[in-house]
Amino acid sequence: MRTYISKRIMYMIIILFAASFLIFCLYALTPGDFITGNIKLTPERKEELREIYGLNKPVIERYVTWMNNAFHGDFGYSLSQQKPVLTLFNQYIWNSFLLAIVSTFLTWLVAVVVGVVAAYKQYSWFDTIVMVALFAAMSIPSFFIGLLLIKLLAVDLKWLPPGGMLTTGSNATGLAYVKEVIHHMILPVMVMTLLGVGSLTRYFRSNMIDVIKQDYIRTARAKGLKERKVLFTHALRNALLPAITLVGFELPALFGGSLIIEKIFNWPGIGQLYMQSFSLRDYPLLMGFTLFIAILTVVGTLVSDILYHVADPRVRL
Amino acid sequence: MNKSMTTLSAVILATSLFLAACGNNNADTANPSGTSQPSPSSTGTGTSTTDPSADTAGLVTASDISKLPDIAKKRTDTIIVGLTDPSGSFTPYFQQSGYDGNVSSLLYTSLVKVDDKGVPIPGLAESWEISADSLTYTFHLRKDLKFSDGSPLTADDVAFTWTILHDKSYDGDSQVNSLLVKGGAAYKEGSSTSIEGIAIIDPQTISVTLEKPNASALTLLGSDVLSKAYYGKDYKQGQLDYMKKLSGSPLGNGPYKLEKFIPGQEVRMIANENYFEGKPKTEHFIYKTAAGDTWQYLETGEVDYASFSATKENIDKLKGLGFVNILNYTPSTYGYLQLNLEHPALKDKKVRQALTYGLDRQSIYVDANQGAGAIANIPSSPISWSYTEEGINPYKFDQDKAKQLLDEAGWAVGSDGIREKDGKKLTIHYLGSKSPSTDIFIAVAKEDYEALGIKFEPEVFADYNALASKVEGGDYDLAAFSTPLLTDPADGLIQFLDGEIKGYDNPKFIELYNKGLATTNIDDRKAVYKEIYTLLNDDLPVIFTNYKKSVYAYNGRIQNLSVSPFNGLASSLPKWTLGQ
Repeated sequence: MRTYISKRIMYMIIILFAASFLIFCLYALTPGDFITGNIKLTPERKEELREIYGLNKPVIERYVTWMNNAFHGDFGYSLSQQKPVLTLFNQYIWNSFLLAIVSTFLTWLVAVVVGVVAAYKQYSWFDTIVMVALFAAMSIPSFFIGLLLIKLLAVDLKWLPPGGMLTTGSNATGLAYVKEVIHHMILPVMVMTLLGVGSLTRYFRSNMIDVIKQDYIRTARAKGLKERKVLFTHALRNALLPAITLVGFELPALFGGSLIIEKIFNWPGIGQLYMQSFSLRDYPLLMGFTLFIAILTVVGTLVSDILYHVADPRVRL
Repeated sequence: MNKSMTTLSAVILATSLFLAACGNNNADTANPSGTSQPSPSSTGTGTSTTDPSADTAGLVTASDISKLPDIAKKRTDTIIVGLTDPSGSFTPYFQQSGYDGNVSSLLYTSLVKVDDKGVPIPGLAESWEISADSLTYTFHLRKDLKFSDGSPLTADDVAFTWTILHDKSYDGDSQVNSLLVKGGAAYKEGSSTSIEGIAIIDPQTISVTLEKPNASALTLLGSDVLSKAYYGKDYKQGQLDYMKKLSGSPLGNGPYKLEKFIPGQEVRMIANENYFEGKPKTEHFIYKTAAGDTWQYLETGEVDYASFSATKENIDKLKGLGFVNILNYTPSTYGYLQLNLEHPALKDKKVRQALTYGLDRQSIYVDANQGAGAIANIPSSPISWSYTEEGINPYKFDQDKAKQLLDEAGWAVGSDGIREKDGKKLTIHYLGSKSPSTDIFIAVAKEDYEALGIKFEPEVFADYNALASKVEGGDYDLAAFSTPLLTDPADGLIQFLDGEIKGYDNPKFIELYNKGLATTNIDDRKAVYKEIYTLLNDDLPVIFTNYKKSVYAYNGRIQNLSVSPFNGLASSLPKWTLGQ
């Protein structure tokens, strides 16, 4: 186990190096840089600024400088926001995380319950309705359902705020603040859950259908166990096993923010920030963020491999 | 490796999809002023940030104020305006985003302001003199000026501000350092420790001497003032990095001061009791970050003020709300199609004129926009004091005239219907950035130009930076742009001179351009600019295309609201009050 983990960590470092270089090159080679976008500058001033920012140096040299600073914990200053990249992450990531963790939790909860019931009552009217509804939810574009819900629930009925995280100008603290944030979270979480729940429910349903047909389920029933116990203890545990792989993949999504949802609901998350910095070619911010996601992805897969081993002793590492 | 690659390509794919998805956003929030990075949502034919300029004639007042949502009624001492994306860097001259410029324009006041026609009027400076040779500017500050913390504002602060803009580590986009202030270059190199041309005469009087006359110097130098005591205490020549640390805690002298910045959400401001024109009437002002559509916020009363493209659809919808006043304005910018003058075909003036005659600009910029635009024929906005239509060729859509000009230029129709000269076919390689207006342009231009026998090859880029870098590379014939906010008439001309538009070299133009800046008398300058406009209207170094038209919609309870074309909200905001 220990040798396995140390070997994996070695690989991870190599992968991250390669990934960081590749990401850096891709960004550096995207046409246009931070200076190009400023239409007020004269060509000479543009050259001067490229010199100041070091944008006129060869890509390799810029990469080495960036990597060197990154190793010293300095991820640079965002060019457009004039703030350290890490400070910006800290300001925005937790807002994204809040949305993601709540909607992920709800998605999994709904998916497990609905998936199990639908599998147990396979081909019943419940199963059919659920499957149709899930397909419908999966195929609606997020911006459409988001705007529709804003129109209905916020603009027409005025039940929920149309966007943002706080009531503008609000000085709420403590419990009132928490309530306010929850009130603003309802719409985006609703949309995110709706969009995520489809594929996951189908996944659990089909896993469950496979498991229910296994011999040990028949054995459990033959022993005279209660149906509820058979279903949720014996069947569900085994049906959930493959889903552990998914947990690892959720990790970057938890911190990565959602471009479209955040934009539609005006949520102050990292996805929006990333989007803007891409169109401005704000390299330090782009590099920092993409590498952060890459690290989470690699760590996420390692975690899910280890979890798999813990959950299922048959899996050898 | 595989997984990181997947993530990365997913991110890139999502990015491009997203850009495509939000391209057709025709409603801007408040428009950025000052420094300008084009925002993705405004990448129209132009791709520039538009700045407000009011056409006060067209005010439609609210028809039924009782429809005002409760949430807006409850606000009694707070005004909320949507702003796309302030980033929290609020020091003027040192900010990169135009939205931060909107915020700092309320936190700081400039020495010299401009009125609704762009004519300079007193700000922090109550008067100024310009020497007979137009080289020395002497500013007289008002008495008892204070920064928002109560500390005095003197000529020392002005000198400090001008000095650091000449520092070699200065990385902002102020053009003060290109004015050729005497001794400025020496300071930048580090061979001198102060700028020779800046002279503090007494605490209220400061003068600056230029090496070459430049009429736009008055407004460029007469901009915001930074406190030396606050921003200068850590300054060493060649070292401005420390300014970054102060960007989130501005010390200004404008009508409002910063109360709190909540990243991605709000910029809260509070009235400045030390403001030289008196404390503003409304205690709180909030810029609310609203990156997406602003309709929902105006409709629900979460913001009091928003700006939209002046399409018939938008105006009807705004009128339908009932509780907003609607104000028309034309931003002080102009749109143009940049021509690659290094390509042989486009070097010929007749070809350029033919391309202008042969393009149905009315359909593209006015009709397809439901009237939210007007046709431009000169490099000036219709709201500028220098604007004229006298003696200007309107280049009315005329395919026959265009064909005739092409024939005269020696481009004859070949066997395949495409015009050729010396064995080369006449093709136009057009570059645009992804947006609905680009789609309209391509559809109409392709038809128009093909009818003339010109092969039209459009290429569309995902965003503005990609487009601009391709144009810098020179591989194009035609590309759509818009100018940044123009204050002085010379601002709209500089691109023909500074190498931005390569290959335009008309000594007559250069002579007139310098003549226009050599005097500060407005009537004399008007005459010169008229001559320049006539010249460029005939020469067409670019194809002038359009002006944008927009509307402001604001809560009908707000009184005394006017919008200056060049200062945005800043000049009238202190007087805004919330009526019942």
